[in-house]
Amino acid sequence: MSTTPIPFDPRALRAPHPVPGAPDNWRRFFTFNTDAKVIGIQYIALALLFLLVGGLLAMIMRGELITPPADLVDPSVYNGLYTMHGTVMLFLFLFPILNGFNNLLIPPMIGAPDMAFPRLNALAFWMFPVFGVVLMASFLVPGGPASSGWWAYPPLSTQNPLGLLINGQFLWILAVAISGVSSILGAVNFCTTIIRMRAPGMGWFRMPIFCWTALAAQTIQLAGLPVLTAGAVMLLFDLSFGTSFFQPEGGGDPMLYQHFFWFYSHPAVYVMALPVFGFFSEIFPVYARKPLFGYPVVAIASFGIVLLSLIVWVHHMFTSGTPQWMRHVFMVTTMLIAVPTGIKVFAWLATLWRGKLWLTTAMLFAMGGVFNFIFAGITGIMLATVPVDVHVGNTYFVVGHFHTVIFSTITFGVYAAIYHWFAKFTGRMLYEGLGKVHFVLTFVGAQLNFLPMHWAGLMGMPRRVASYDPEFALANVLASLGAFLLGVAMIPFLLNLMSSWVRGAPAPANPWQAIGLEWLLPSPPPVENFEHDVPTVISGPYGYGLGHPLVADQARYEAQLKEA
Amino acid sequence: MRASGSTPSGSGPGIDRGAVLLVTLGVGLALLASSWLMAQVPRWLPPQASTAAPLVDDLFALEAGIGCFLLLGCTAVIAWTLLFDRADKYDRDDGEPIEGNLKLEITWTVIPLVVVLLLAAQAIRVNGQLASLGGKVRVAGAAEALQLVGVEGVAGVAGLPASTSVQSSQSSQLSQPSEPQASKASRSRSSKGASRGLGVPAADPAAAEPATDPITELGPVVVIARQWSWEFVYPDGVRSAELHLPVNRPVRFRLMSLDVLHAMSIPAFRLRQDVVPGSVIDYRLTPSREGRYRLRDSLFSGAYFSSNQTDVVVESAAAFERWRLAARLSPLAPSPNAAADLWRQRQERGNRGWATVPPAPPPLVNVPLDPNAAHEG
Amino acid sequence: MANPLDGTGFNAATPLPGFNSGAGGFPEGSSGEVPLAIGTLTAPAGPFAGGPHGSGSGGGSGAAEHAHGGYNLTGFVIFLASESLIFAALFAAYIVLKGSAPLWLPPGVEGLEVREPLINTIVLVSSSGVAWLAERALHRRQLVRFRLWWLLTMAMGTWFVVGQAREWQGLTFGLGDGVFGACFYLLTGFHGLHVITGVLLMALMLWRSFRPGNYDGGEAGVTAVGLFWHFVDVIWIVLFALLYLWQGR
Repeated sequence: MSTTPIPFDPRALRAPHPVPGAPDNWRRFFTFNTDAKVIGIQYIALALLFLLVGGLLAMIMRGELITPPADLVDPSVYNGLYTMHGTVMLFLFLFPILNGFNNLLIPPMIGAPDMAFPRLNALAFWMFPVFGVVLMASFLVPGGPASSGWWAYPPLSTQNPLGLLINGQFLWILAVAISGVSSILGAVNFCTTIIRMRAPGMGWFRMPIFCWTALAAQTIQLAGLPVLTAGAVMLLFDLSFGTSFFQPEGGGDPMLYQHFFWFYSHPAVYVMALPVFGFFSEIFPVYARKPLFGYPVVAIASFGIVLLSLIVWVHHMFTSGTPQWMRHVFMVTTMLIAVPTGIKVFAWLATLWRGKLWLTTAMLFAMGGVFNFIFAGITGIMLATVPVDVHVGNTYFVVGHFHTVIFSTITFGVYAAIYHWFAKFTGRMLYEGLGKVHFVLTFVGAQLNFLPMHWAGLMGMPRRVASYDPEFALANVLASLGAFLLGVAMIPFLLNLMSSWVRGAPAPANPWQAIGLEWLLPSPPPVENFEHDVPTVISGPYGYGLGHPLVADQARYEAQLKEA
Repeated sequence: MRASGSTPSGSGPGIDRGAVLLVTLGVGLALLASSWLMAQVPRWLPPQASTAAPLVDDLFALEAGIGCFLLLGCTAVIAWTLLFDRADKYDRDDGEPIEGNLKLEITWTVIPLVVVLLLAAQAIRVNGQLASLGGKVRVAGAAEALQLVGVEGVAGVAGLPASTSVQSSQSSQLSQPSEPQASKASRSRSSKGASRGLGVPAADPAAAEPATDPITELGPVVVIARQWSWEFVYPDGVRSAELHLPVNRPVRFRLMSLDVLHAMSIPAFRLRQDVVPGSVIDYRLTPSREGRYRLRDSLFSGAYFSSNQTDVVVESAAAFERWRLAARLSPLAPSPNAAADLWRQRQERGNRGWATVPPAPPPLVNVPLDPNAAHEG
Repeated sequence: MANPLDGTGFNAATPLPGFNSGAGGFPEGSSGEVPLAIGTLTAPAGPFAGGPHGSGSGGGSGAAEHAHGGYNLTGFVIFLASESLIFAALFAAYIVLKGSAPLWLPPGVEGLEVREPLINTIVLVSSSGVAWLAERALHRRQLVRFRLWWLLTMAMGTWFVVGQAREWQGLTFGLGDGVFGACFYLLTGFHGLHVITGVLLMALMLWRSFRPGNYDGGEAGVTAVGLFWHFVDVIWIVLFALLYLWQGR
């Protein structure tokens, strides 16, 4: 190393990538940095860490479940493990990583320099390590962590066996509450940015689909989280202050909690799924070199899903003692959601059709994700019909269904997004070979893990059990093997991420020859993206094969990229 | 816009006949495969032991068939593109700039809409035929629930002689139930709950119906769910840890919980109903096949939730009658209880584990649970 | 030697928009890191300002600040809409529980006294009118008048909170007294918390009004807090109707 200090502009330290010569480049990711691209990477990195935590919990669970008796851990411990597995995966992995992608992608895609409220953005991020620590700390308090499922249904969740004020369930509620506040602040930011900060010429139907789905998802957050908050506050009061909202002895009703919980938590799955649908909609046109089929309808369908998602929640309560008319109404609304979702799926297939497929890792994960999603959608329709749900609800059939959605579709989509946009935001290319190994192991592992669960559920194996009758043994052995394979699949992925960031090949501005504003920026983009030179959008977003430029004076932007 | 064929040979206007043939063949194969799948469905399910089971299975098979057809169709499209639409290695040219096709989009909106609505209509019809869910009465706690269903006392009742056989339904002796394990912070076991004194009126006098009439509904059988055991109280006062039912005779249940949410799930019957504390829920079903089947708690209820299982024994009317009479003569005794055993083992290990309420005392029953009996489905 | 900033889009001469000094600017120190400015994060105008502006080509910093005032209100309105749903959910809980609970009023409790809460209600609702007068004065840059009306609003809000506390003290039932007690205290307490927050936000706005040039970029902060105050009032009207007017089953 030279002893002469290399001059650098200190403002450059706000950039999300290392600047040659600048000291302590890595520090920027551990500070209260208001740059959306830094915040995005902070979210994604921390979320991937928690993916490992949740995955470790899953490995222990599947180790327990590989044999019928509960012989690995005590049943009370198993209950804490599965509760925390669900909670960590949803609140510490999926929601944050999608917020990370919102931060990375939305400003460049719409030609904005940053989010509408950068400091609020950073605040919302820094709440994430806080509630992450609170939740992890619950493993250490007397009595252990929350152990009543990630639903936390009272009266079980309010039993508080040790009678302590600070207990695992209390910390769980606190963590979820802070997470809710963080999400609401984020939602305000994302919605304002998308609504108000688009580049000149970018009308609604020239906006990339990802921004549509992100806006749709954040709208759901704004509508649903407050209701969850109210329910969580009432639960906390029942747990800690002796109230009777959900305690029958005081005149309360346990069912009321279920309504509050599911009013948010069903739409929550669309908060997770919609951005991933956005990923698929962005990725297929690039690697099939064709416009997104039916783009305007796909965009509108996102909001169809939003509206419908808010009126289906009782399908989680078909056997809770809800009256027959209610079950029928919500069955119909739930079935209807298949329509806008189906529109998207068919549009993706039509985008692939007669394209020129380039099977990169991102494309493989996207195609695998859509394939899995079709299966998951079918089992979802099955669950929507009351008589079938009565039989398979709360069994491993449901566990198989939602893991096929959450892992085999949504997480596949997250992987696809990482492989697609890593180069843009880090300036390094990921290794394709390792990526394909990651894909194959993950795809096989996912099928092996989750398909047998459907069978076990049809045969009557309840969910959340630590021990089970011997007739379910084969299904569980297969599922556990699949789970262990998924654990192994993380190895090439993590290796790839870490080594590529440090010493991957430098990425060009547009390695995939994609059409989009973010691809008109250098890899990685400067702190304020286009800064003073925001392009004017003159055409719709997926103009593959249509022969016209995306922005006015496009040749100049492309020439600038070549110079850099 | 071209029709959805893809063979490159057709170059003139009009429908490509090779494509139509291929698609027809594909559709035919998919239909065949879906029908085959529908026939496999019974293999994946427990035996059909109630009148509800065939209805549910048929609906599921229909959905599986439709789903299979859809999955095969979409998979065929994906596979086709993977096989025939791959770009050459260094070819980065654009594909066909097809932005949409109004007719196609309308088709794939309307057809799924029609299919799901028809499915929903069928499901509503089936659900009506199942007719299993009855009314629900709100109560302020377990004591009031027990009072409502006319059951005297709960497990762990102090002062009830161990050798007492079933009292007649007119008896109303009651003592303060006490919980042997004191000092719990658990509010659901605190004095507000089941330990309030019960001045129980006589059980429903109409419940002691003639045993030989197969048409009359049996019941109401009170189902008491606890952390972590099941107790069934028959109209004539027989208490059992196993549910015995005469075949082909409708039975009515009144479901209640003494503590937290549970669910009564009998996969062989294809039926399941949550048991909600603070409510008494009426439920009906008709068993249709003799045998021994599993009844499981399927709504997470705490530490030993996995062990909260028992059996349903469906037998002929005569066998059921014999069982009932024998039960009336058996003394009340605590039933074997897996949760109690596990708890005891945990205490022997120094109470190591995460926080949980202790199990409720095993129910005092005339007919105990048989943990070693083999069940089917 | 190659400029290490090549390829980053920077050069030493590039002025960075959004780094202007003022209410939200980032100090440029040699460390280049952004200090945590928690104090200004609670004020609506603070955290939303100081970031880069939107349509950038040629926009000066004045346009940036003005555009930011617009974003602030958009964001705040979205936030308020979301917040109002929490109350809507609590109202729904109250209605359902009241209609279906086997036990409602605790033993010995006949109902709620209406007269004093009615007076408090009138005070609170009138304070919205006073706040509006204050905002109007500010719009005309009549700062003294603004501060007086604003202070009066704060006083009326404080009266309300004190009155609520006194009502709580005089009640014979507590938080743990059945589902009615739970609902009553949660609803009024959560609302009271919002009133207190509103008064504190108003205090902050009042303190800021003494800073020279505070309103050069617009009055978004005061508008936002005023909006919040009206929101708190509307919530109370619904609450009052549910708790005090709709008694008996």
